Amino acid sequence: MGAERIPWYKLDNAGALYSALQREEYSAIYRFSAVMTEPVVPEALQRAIDRCMPRFPGFAVRIRRGLFWYYLEPNRAPGPFLKKDIADPCQPVRFHEDNGWLVRFYYYEHRISLEVFHALADGAGALVFFRSLLAAYLRELGHDIPCGRAAGILDPEQPPRIEEMEDAYARYAGGPSARGMYPPRAYQNTGTPESYYTFRVTMGFMPLDQLREKAHARGASITEYLCAVLMQVILQKQHRERPHRELPVALAIPINLRAFFPTDTLRNFIATIRPCVDPSLGEYTFDEILAQVRYFMKLHANRQELRTAFTRNVRFTTAPLLKIIPVFLKNPLIAVNYRLMGTRPYSGTYTNPGVFSVPDAMRPHIHHMEVILGQATIPRVHCSSISYGNILEVTFAGVQAETDTEREFFRFLIREGIPVKVESNRPGA
Amino acid sequence: MPYCVNCGVELSAAASVCPLCHTPVWHPAEAEETAQPPFFPTNREEVRPVSKRALALLASAMLASAALCCRILNFFLRPGQDWWLYVAGAAVMLWIWFVAPLLARRIPLWGRLTLDVFAVGIYLFVISLATGGDWFFHLALPILSVAAVLVFSLSFLLRDRRRSRLSGIALTIGTAGLFALGIEFFADRYLFGDWKPGWSLVVLTICIALIIPLRVVRRMPSLRDEARRRFHM
Repeated sequence: MGAERIPWYKLDNAGALYSALQREEYSAIYRFSAVMTEPVVPEALQRAIDRCMPRFPGFAVRIRRGLFWYYLEPNRAPGPFLKKDIADPCQPVRFHEDNGWLVRFYYYEHRISLEVFHALADGAGALVFFRSLLAAYLRELGHDIPCGRAAGILDPEQPPRIEEMEDAYARYAGGPSARGMYPPRAYQNTGTPESYYTFRVTMGFMPLDQLREKAHARGASITEYLCAVLMQVILQKQHRERPHRELPVALAIPINLRAFFPTDTLRNFIATIRPCVDPSLGEYTFDEILAQVRYFMKLHANRQELRTAFTRNVRFTTAPLLKIIPVFLKNPLIAVNYRLMGTRPYSGTYTNPGVFSVPDAMRPHIHHMEVILGQATIPRVHCSSISYGNILEVTFAGVQAETDTEREFFRFLIREGIPVKVESNRPGA
Repeated sequence: MPYCVNCGVELSAAASVCPLCHTPVWHPAEAEETAQPPFFPTNREEVRPVSKRALALLASAMLASAALCCRILNFFLRPGQDWWLYVAGAAVMLWIWFVAPLLARRIPLWGRLTLDVFAVGIYLFVISLATGGDWFFHLALPILSVAAVLVFSLSFLLRDRRRSRLSGIALTIGTAGLFALGIEFFADRYLFGDWKPGWSLVVLTICIALIIPLRVVRRMPSLRDEARRRFHM
């Protein structure tokens, strides 16, 4: 009898990037939390996790370091185990700790949290997993929650489908790839880093209907509106610092490619666009910034441009020269490339997974949703938002001591007439 | 339901300060409402320190193997001279510099500096034994002593966190100038028996010429702000 053959999965190009970059000072981990209406029952939640993990093989993996690339293989170690929540979320992933699990589950009072290493899945894929987990948890508590792919709830009793593990980048990449030099440097919006590992999270909760009304009154979507507010805040912050020359302010906005390229994958399938405002050209009013963002997104979020953007990334990972470089030499190369392509041209990240929709039977059990992005490669804030029911939650998360960006962001919304409730893990808050 | 009087945002009932602007919060119903659990958990998960033992073992093995290989090579290559001792001495010095701090992280800075200086001294002494001559006691040891005094003083001065970056740079430049003076003093005494100030005075003058504008910028707030703006600090 021969030894059992262990299957393995190739990382997609986003996964290859996050694996190469992972270190103690950077966390490619993001967190989704559901705050329930009742306190969490940990035993029921652990049972739900145990039922769901086999249904989502893309999350039940460990990462291995090959000679040329990292790769994934099924994790047969015990776990993952539910843990009590901690004050500093999204801690960097350590490949050899926690039995190699790349997903983490936490509970605290009414809150259920899922943390995912970005090499496994993007937010859309992780939300399908999380929604299915919440449904399984509520079923464990005796509630009748239906399954259905249309509702984004997968049945844990069914076998996994091969389409959910598809590398959609490889499927759709082709044609011309984006060319040109590295994007120009943007204002970095950095602050003073806190002591290791202190992760500051500030959340703002606001009524979705009032925010939507304000955004629509200016002819914009909520994403465009919040993106413009963030850009204005960063522009003003740079201006207050009185630099010799003001740099452009640009945001990294991840776009879910599933809306443009049909796929059922739960793995990564996003591309980033870069709305930008250059203050060296003159002062911008808020409406002008909003117009810049709105038209930029309408102009550039299309199939053709997005395809050329991710085709370049796919070709980068499939370049013959890069393929034969050992992984320990490749990691610094990828890190330098990420610094030039992923850090230097941006002032921050803003991601909005949108509305967290659930079937009617689940609705009364969830109070609101939260999302947190992990630590950036440099000490600056990441901004993210998610909505559930009539509550929109905006998170600013980072390792910096200063609160300038989030303070001015929420003050702007207050001045706009939108009530905001703020919660933070900062001392005294 | 408290609100920040500065930002206008609603705050948690348990908040003592606004998390955005640090304005203190006072509300009469505090005693009743803070009984609720905090919104975020407060238990901090201890981050395990990175295992430096394995790194120390790897570095030790590399240094030991370099010394051992050279010892073996010395049997065949110029066997009359014990040149492998230079490599072995360098390996010991590097071990004390880099591996010892990995194994004993609680050594204070002055302890580490003492060890480092001691390691350099031992290495130079080994070389002097191999090469012969009195240069160790009359040249190397005095220069090493000057370097040790200057490094100790500089590290002591730079430990004050209130010291500005400009002052730190000025102190470092000044120390470099004094060190050049010390080298020439002892080199002249050893080689010619008398000190004839030459190149070290040029170095010291350049250092002073660099320090003066730094001190001026440091002392004048308007210039300091201008420098900050120009260098985007």
